[in-house]
Amino acid sequence: MVVLNFTLTPEAASEIHDLLVCLGKFSDTVAIEARRERFTFTALNSSKSAYAAATLVGKQFFSTYECVPTQGGPDGRFTCSIYTRALLSVFKARLHDPLGRDGAISRCEVSVQENANTCRFIVKMVCNQGVIKTYKLTYEAVDVMHALFDRNMAKNRWSMRAGGLREYVEYFGTRTEMLDIFSGEEGDGRVVFKSFTEKISNGKEVLKHPLVTAVAVNTSDFEEFNVQPGMHIIISVKDFKAIVIHADTLKTSVKAFYSQPTRPLQFSYGSDGLLCEFTLMTSGDYNGPATAPTPAPQIPSRLASRAQSATDSRSMPPPTSPASRRSARRQAAPRKASSPKPQPDPESLFVNQDEEEDSRWEPLDHNEEETLGWDAAADRDAGSFPTFRDSGSFSKVEVATTVGADGMEGIAPSQRVSQVKGLW
Amino acid sequence: MRFKASIQNITTFTKLTASLNSLGPLAWVKLSDDQVCFTIIPEQGTQVWAALSIDTIFETYTVQSAANNVINLEVPLGPLNRALKSALNATSAQIRLTKKDNMPLLALTIVTTSSSNTYSAFPTGGANDDGFDAPFDDLGGGGNRETIITQEVPVRVLGPDVVSGLHEPQCREPDVHIILPPLMQLKSISDRFTKLALAGARTGAGSSAARTRLDMAANMHGCLKMSIKTDAMSISSVWTDLSNPELDPSQVAGGTIGIAEHPSTRMKLLGSADGRSDQGWASVRIDGRDWGKVMSVGRLGGRVIACFCHEHALILYVYLPTDNGEDESVLTYYVSSYSA
Repeated sequence: MVVLNFTLTPEAASEIHDLLVCLGKFSDTVAIEARRERFTFTALNSSKSAYAAATLVGKQFFSTYECVPTQGGPDGRFTCSIYTRALLSVFKARLHDPLGRDGAISRCEVSVQENANTCRFIVKMVCNQGVIKTYKLTYEAVDVMHALFDRNMAKNRWSMRAGGLREYVEYFGTRTEMLDIFSGEEGDGRVVFKSFTEKISNGKEVLKHPLVTAVAVNTSDFEEFNVQPGMHIIISVKDFKAIVIHADTLKTSVKAFYSQPTRPLQFSYGSDGLLCEFTLMTSGDYNGPATAPTPAPQIPSRLASRAQSATDSRSMPPPTSPASRRSARRQAAPRKASSPKPQPDPESLFVNQDEEEDSRWEPLDHNEEETLGWDAAADRDAGSFPTFRDSGSFSKVEVATTVGADGMEGIAPSQRVSQVKGLW
Repeated sequence: MRFKASIQNITTFTKLTASLNSLGPLAWVKLSDDQVCFTIIPEQGTQVWAALSIDTIFETYTVQSAANNVINLEVPLGPLNRALKSALNATSAQIRLTKKDNMPLLALTIVTTSSSNTYSAFPTGGANDDGFDAPFDDLGGGGNRETIITQEVPVRVLGPDVVSGLHEPQCREPDVHIILPPLMQLKSISDRFTKLALAGARTGAGSSAARTRLDMAANMHGCLKMSIKTDAMSISSVWTDLSNPELDPSQVAGGTIGIAEHPSTRMKLLGSADGRSDQGWASVRIDGRDWGKVMSVGRLGGRVIACFCHEHALILYVYLPTDNGEDESVLTYYVSSYSA
């Protein structure tokens, strides 16, 4: 049985709140990976174009921290996934309140209870006047995946105070989708953050087009600025906003690392035992000059690949190596999946992916057994099993795993096909 | 076709667009040599015809076109308001009509000196050893970080033939004209009335539109009455000691004789200053929710004269405060009355 216990100060608990708010903008669930020395929250958005990881250093961030995974020795880990909303309803706003008003806590104790029947994440909020609120959250044991990002490849770097970036973000119009970060031509000394929406519309619709906002900033306003002149790199405004707003709560600086459009970009910031890294897919040269391509490894610019038990994105192997480590099953994938795909569509932020690639991202299904589907169409000519169809079950399983607790609408399979066979 | 101006009064312009936006998302903006007109004609509800002197919002203003230097635009107010908001702390803001990819747009160029946050003076590096530390260069040069923001608002250019069909509503001479009490007061009371009426409507029958009908009435003795009536309740508020401005003979058709025959002159003979008399009231029935939108103009802080045409219409003239007292800018709201 796994041992995971930690205690948080009110300040740290409220930092967890801020962090969860930010991660909630990326995904409905957060994955947790606990190791002996540190604790990591990760979130991956549904289009798999953005990955967030926040690492809390055991000794620094927590008042006490103890994690003994069941297996794996010193490199072992405990992983699970929890609904972001469920966690947020426990880690509410204003847990830390110096005046001790409603909702303020004096400390927060977290432990994990795992046995054959239950998986519970237990949070005890020790409030003032001896009130203790205990929350038991159900978690799902899943494999945690990490995005790979090779900082050695990312020659373009800048760093700026989150407060400054936040100011720029506030100028952006609502409903815009994309952000183009354009490093001006040589000697220009300017960087332009431009929020826009690429949508072709005509006639009366033109007026519904969201505002296009360009914020031109002097490179001297950056703490560091070292980017190839004339480069346009495009990410999602929503992601950028979430990151900048969270970074601003930490009063820290945001660092950006990237190589070229269509390859991932990473934002990184942290303070006092909390390190956040966001790996985002970027898209191409938005009406800019062709950039001299930096030599790229001959591997698709996947935002992320599965790196089981990989420790930290920086110590992870660079994107070239996963090819050799691919499992036999993955090697069976069509060859074209691994040919480099420059993105022809500048609007798309998403990694080009086929089904095989997509399924790699699915959480491991531990209940891989034959399940019985229900053919609502009741097509009598469909085959030897007029009302039951095995092939139809896959999508249902998927729905069940993603919808989870609140998705009780579907009819759960009750029998195995092998058992049914005898009946017919 | 050229239009370029620097925005002299960003706050007023922002408040104006916000107020107009509450009535309708699109404005017809007419730029000419001596005036800037904003007109909102929503499919339902109140129309606004605003005529502003140039210097109410602009300075160094140029407008040129083949059609007598008049430019007519259709402008989405939401984005324009949003764009102007980003100029609230600006050191300068310019607006011009331009084209990009053959699409006309109003481009705002805003120069701000960002308020420097001082916290980065002590970099909080954390456990981050990726080769570059935050330098201390923020210590000295705080104040002069200049940022240039460009906001592009899509617009449509309207041809003279399109706008020639748009006319300001015509209305007969009003029965009562009165200066309204502070709009915030008026708005909070009318909002409260509407809310109460809607709360009752949820349980009772009948459409909610009929339920939020406000009765507004005024007399020529400084009284204004607002009331709402539903099956379950009847509430009203009465203001007294408001002022009924004197008509200017030079502004009324027929001069002094015109005033003598003016409906309001006859109304003066009826009713009383304590608002208790049943006589002498000119009243209109308006939709409470629409009225709430009209009241949004209160943020501009102008003087408001309400003209009541009994059982026909309510016309509000909102006079914007000006520095020089001349060239007044007026927003005219046409609120039509429901029949009983």
